[in-house]
Amino acid sequence: MNPLNRLDLYKQMVRIRQYESRILQEYHADKKPAWDIGAGLIPGEMHLSAGQEPSAVGVCANLKQGDAITAPHRPHHFALAHGVDMNAMTAEIYGRDTGLCRGKGGHMHLFDPENHFSCSGIIAQGYPVACGQAMAFKRKGTDHVAVAVAGEGAANQGAFHESLNLASLWKLPVIFVIEDNDWAISVPRSHSTANASNADRASGYGMPGVRIENNDVEAVFEAAGVAIDRARAGGGPSLIEIHTLRLWGHFEGDAQAYRGADLDTLDARDPIPLYAATLAEIGDLSMDQVASIAADAAAEVDAAITFATSSPFPTADDALLHVFA
Amino acid sequence: MHDVGVVGIVANPSSARDIRRLVADGAFVTTNDKINMVKRVLTGLHSVGVDRAISMTDLGGISAALADLANGPTSRAWPRVDFVDRDLSQSAADTTAAVEAMVAAGVGAIVVLGGDGTNGVVASACGDVPIASISTGTNNAFPRSAEPTVVGIAAGLVATGLLDADEVAARSKTLTVLSGRHRHRALVDVAITTHDTVASGAVWDSSTVREVFLCFAEPDRIGLSSIGAHLRTVRRADPVGLYLRLGTPAVAAVRVPLGPGLMADVDVAEFAEIPLGSTLTVRTPSGVVAVDGERAFRFGPSDAVTVSLAADGPRAIDVERAMELASARGVLTRTVGRPQQHQISHQQ
Repeated sequence: MNPLNRLDLYKQMVRIRQYESRILQEYHADKKPAWDIGAGLIPGEMHLSAGQEPSAVGVCANLKQGDAITAPHRPHHFALAHGVDMNAMTAEIYGRDTGLCRGKGGHMHLFDPENHFSCSGIIAQGYPVACGQAMAFKRKGTDHVAVAVAGEGAANQGAFHESLNLASLWKLPVIFVIEDNDWAISVPRSHSTANASNADRASGYGMPGVRIENNDVEAVFEAAGVAIDRARAGGGPSLIEIHTLRLWGHFEGDAQAYRGADLDTLDARDPIPLYAATLAEIGDLSMDQVASIAADAAAEVDAAITFATSSPFPTADDALLHVFA
Repeated sequence: MHDVGVVGIVANPSSARDIRRLVADGAFVTTNDKINMVKRVLTGLHSVGVDRAISMTDLGGISAALADLANGPTSRAWPRVDFVDRDLSQSAADTTAAVEAMVAAGVGAIVVLGGDGTNGVVASACGDVPIASISTGTNNAFPRSAEPTVVGIAAGLVATGLLDADEVAARSKTLTVLSGRHRHRALVDVAITTHDTVASGAVWDSSTVREVFLCFAEPDRIGLSSIGAHLRTVRRADPVGLYLRLGTPAVAAVRVPLGPGLMADVDVAEFAEIPLGSTLTVRTPSGVVAVDGERAFRFGPSDAVTVSLAADGPRAIDVERAMELASARGVLTRTVGRPQQHQISHQQ
């Protein structure tokens, strides 16, 4: 298990939050008319991960180069925490030729073969892909692992159950990460799921399943570390459900009328100020560091946006290139 | 005085989902298992004349399922089930408030489904009301193993007055930890570890443990208390606890089940009884304090940490003793016809 480095965890969470905050601004900046999701600097739907940083940062701090992640439609925090190049990722989100997929995928289709990172807008379809990656790792005799990430709503898809079954049967080095942010778009779990915790569902497939409460990056780091070490050592798959927090809408433009009083307490539950306070209390973080870490993150994100916006669009002549894998 | 025949039910929806499922072979006690156990408890309660149960509510699906069943079309031999109606925070505060409401409503006993942690929370609010505990955690010493139907019967016998609580529900010991603004109470153990993070909570590696304070130490239990149990058995009713300092030079080495399917060889440098009413100071300069096996808070060299042993815990119903008394006194036995010893005849 990697040693716990609190400052690194904090910096990565701040970096991701800064990224999502700037994309939020950019997304709405030039979207006229506001109801046309094709308009503006960033075309298409946008699903941002503010509040869910602890899950990505806690999990990815235990990964190494060559490990794989499949992420869902809300992928930025896992992409950044897993080392996907911020410039190429941002250019993809802006639909530019320098992007990860030459600008043809957009924010829900970030594919980075070098870092074994992919994501998909099709709910739960990263689960079987991760099983395939894990099977490849196992057959090659490496100690790499695959991490499949999706939300608690995705755990009601057939692909989830099929993947858990095969992963357990074949003892694949895969870690199923469920980000439970309480809302499957606008549906609470109590309206969709017969189990109170998806961690319990693991028992039906003969693998360990744990649930991490409180959106606590150190608790995620520890549990993921144990699960990943277990998978590397040939112990097979496991499931980690992380109770996290969606600070913003399901998509940008979501008025969230369905959330009610849940919205009133969001600021108090924001994991980044809470973690900063914890680190300050134990003397691991000063006010000067808070400012400099935020400034460094802002500079990196601004540079990535500049890189994206100064990059060319794909041309009409390229429309039929690279569209089949 | 309590109302005759009213019993509270506390079922922790979150127990048994912790990291011990990963680091050891911790049990899967799923929500559906817990619902099933509550049903068996209700059946047991009803069988001895309990006519009303008050259940806590939760957002984990237990109380919702219970409400469906209790109000559903299938008639069941259950007490009437009422619910503590309040806003939920999805934290231990829900349990505390529910228990306070049950005590105010005059329950004669409370059945608790959870681990050591859940029992500790109930203990903070139940006052003199006896509790009967069913283990649904991953690593428990306080609740003994028993079939929930039988726990329901035992709790019902106490609540209805068919058994005297003083005979079957002895007062538990507690350990109170004080350090600055931190105040915690344990029903089983307080451990001082070298962790520098509270993180996922559980303590599963004995090499991280420096000092252990125990309310009791029974050799048939798992967890930190089992370390002490193999040096000196301390029963729940004994007027002492146990202090252990781990490490070398060792005065003893013990092999114990520290968790479910998790054996550990532990060096003990020092052990001594703790008299009831005494307060000890933690000697380890810094680390994390764990309460009933869960890491609770960090402390440093400038933080004094004290641990006190007292007999101020909940009255815990001894289910085995309750059922033996019920049997000996024929509480659940109805003589039919003329009592006679049945003779086995051997025919050619």
